[in-house]
Amino acid sequence: MNRENSGYTIIYASVMVIVVALGLAFTHQVLSGRQVANENTDKMQQILRSLNLDVSVAEAPAKYAGLIKNAYLINDEGVKVEGSEGITPDDPAFSTELGDEQAKGLPVYEADVDGSAKYIIPMSGAGLWGPIWGYLAIEADGSVVYGAEFGHAGETPGLGAEIVTASFSNRFRGKNLFKENEFTSVAVVKPGQTNSRRDYVDGISGGTITSKGVDNMLLNSVGRYKNFLMNLHASAQ
Amino acid sequence: MDAISLIVRSIFVDNMIFAYFLGMCSFLAVSKNVKTALGLGVAVTFVLVLTLPINYMLENYVLKAGALQWLGKEYAEVDLSVFSLLIFIAVIASFVQLVEMVIERFSPSLYSSLGIFLPLIAVNCAILGGSLFMQQREFANVGMAAAYGFGSGIGWLLAIVGMAAIREKLEYSHVPKPLKGLGITFIITALMAIGFMSFSGINI
Amino acid sequence: MALSSKTKAVLWGPLNKNNPVIVQVLGICSALAVTSKLEPAIVMAIAVALVTAFANVIISLLRKSIPNRIRIIVQLVVVAALVTIVSEVLKAFAYDVNKQLSVFVGLIVTNCILMGRLEAFALGNGPWPSFLDGIGNGLGYGWVLVVVGFFRELLGSGTLLGYKVVPQALYDAGYENNGLMMLAPMAILLVACIIWVHRANNKELQEETN
Repeated sequence: MNRENSGYTIIYASVMVIVVALGLAFTHQVLSGRQVANENTDKMQQILRSLNLDVSVAEAPAKYAGLIKNAYLINDEGVKVEGSEGITPDDPAFSTELGDEQAKGLPVYEADVDGSAKYIIPMSGAGLWGPIWGYLAIEADGSVVYGAEFGHAGETPGLGAEIVTASFSNRFRGKNLFKENEFTSVAVVKPGQTNSRRDYVDGISGGTITSKGVDNMLLNSVGRYKNFLMNLHASAQ
Repeated sequence: MDAISLIVRSIFVDNMIFAYFLGMCSFLAVSKNVKTALGLGVAVTFVLVLTLPINYMLENYVLKAGALQWLGKEYAEVDLSVFSLLIFIAVIASFVQLVEMVIERFSPSLYSSLGIFLPLIAVNCAILGGSLFMQQREFANVGMAAAYGFGSGIGWLLAIVGMAAIREKLEYSHVPKPLKGLGITFIITALMAIGFMSFSGINI
Repeated sequence: MALSSKTKAVLWGPLNKNNPVIVQVLGICSALAVTSKLEPAIVMAIAVALVTAFANVIISLLRKSIPNRIRIIVQLVVVAALVTIVSEVLKAFAYDVNKQLSVFVGLIVTNCILMGRLEAFALGNGPWPSFLDGIGNGLGYGWVLVVVGFFRELLGSGTLLGYKVVPQALYDAGYENNGLMMLAPMAILLVACIIWVHRANNKELQEETN
């Protein structure tokens, strides 16, 4: 058989493409269930870490189901969207992404830690290289931060990437999102600097732009929940 | 404005060589003199600028989950992202072949100076890296993708030409025997990379 | 199983005198960004060894039928398919590591070791030697990666595979982790040191010009 024949080349290429495509599609089909489960567990772990609980992959789903009492979407006025309740990965609160324009609202998770209610809200923003995201757990008064958790896609290792460490996220504990009944969020400042207008934490030294990104995310992403938090704040007083 | 800042960032801060060490193989092999280094740098930039927008369109209108929505509602759930690697590399390889043929046909002089590098480019990590970073960073539109390709290419060119210039001067220095050639090139690359890191604090 | 001396050379050569990274200068691209911790370095090394071995076998089996004109594309498609499978498996069974490796799993496709071995070895040899050649080169690449990862994690974070190994007493005495080690340029500097040591011991590899 002549290997340099055009017809042979074309048939060879087509057969190869079909075989490869079938092989990949099959692999994806077989593994996609596990992959989705992994992603969901990872999200549960992040939510739990915002409650200052670092649990292993194996324990995360049970712990999540035990602690998270309710989850739902809220609209721009901060009011619960009807029929959006449910904490399982199939429910709208869990599957809704913040950036999704067609989403019916913003997700909120309600946790019960030793008898006191905490509200967990997701955040998303942009760091130096790519997306950053996180979860913020807030006390029942809608103002005091109970815990925080951050993640990133590709920040500089050793500098910006340090936002994922507990030593950074722990700095947010006990900070106030409201000052004199104004929503100010928590500022991230250069280490050593202060901010008299807002509650603040130290940023990452050397990771200036990533810290700035976290600051923006806290202002804009959490800002979308302003009315919801205001309502909590008002009813607590 | 965004595009300009993206270009500047991808040249200096986000440099393909110094921040990610992509395209190192040809970077080390072809940085012995400035002229050939320049040729390869131009070729890489050229291919990056043209393949990134193509791959961006493919990613956003064919491959991504829900990208086929423009075909009709029933396709909204289709997720072809498992093929993205395959498609990206196929686009790059066939594009490189195409560019090679076009240049050979229309400008034999450019082909003889550039041509030998073109086959090398298909397996240059910087090119595929550009497409994969584009996928990860979710640029806003085709223009941004093209700008990113241009910036990354120029950054790569800058790095390899700078390296070649240093290596030409290095001819006259005494390097410890075991470090000659490859070893000292690595060390210089590391030092240049540390130098480039000083750009990373810049707020653009 | 007794290995003939030729088979041994195919398997062990790449680990030392013929190392793909520090002698042939291939495959550095995707290597360096993943070595800031030991674990991703090990996973990356295994992934590359497997992909190289199986791509070698497949191309070696197909070598008599591939049309010469589309040879490179056929090789790329085989490699890309294998890498996609590796990436899918990682996503399903080692999600955390996959997150750390991010785009660098995909970049195995353009790892020059792969194309280099396919062109230089698999196209001219049978499946079994090609398999050994792939494993050998993968491991030759892997040990460099693991050594670099070992030192970067030990000196940069004071841990190994996530476990603390530098005793607290040392920190109390004023020892600090070297943050510089976490930055990418240090990876390349460490490779330079490995080359230095390796070439000081193997004089025949030293180059005459810069």
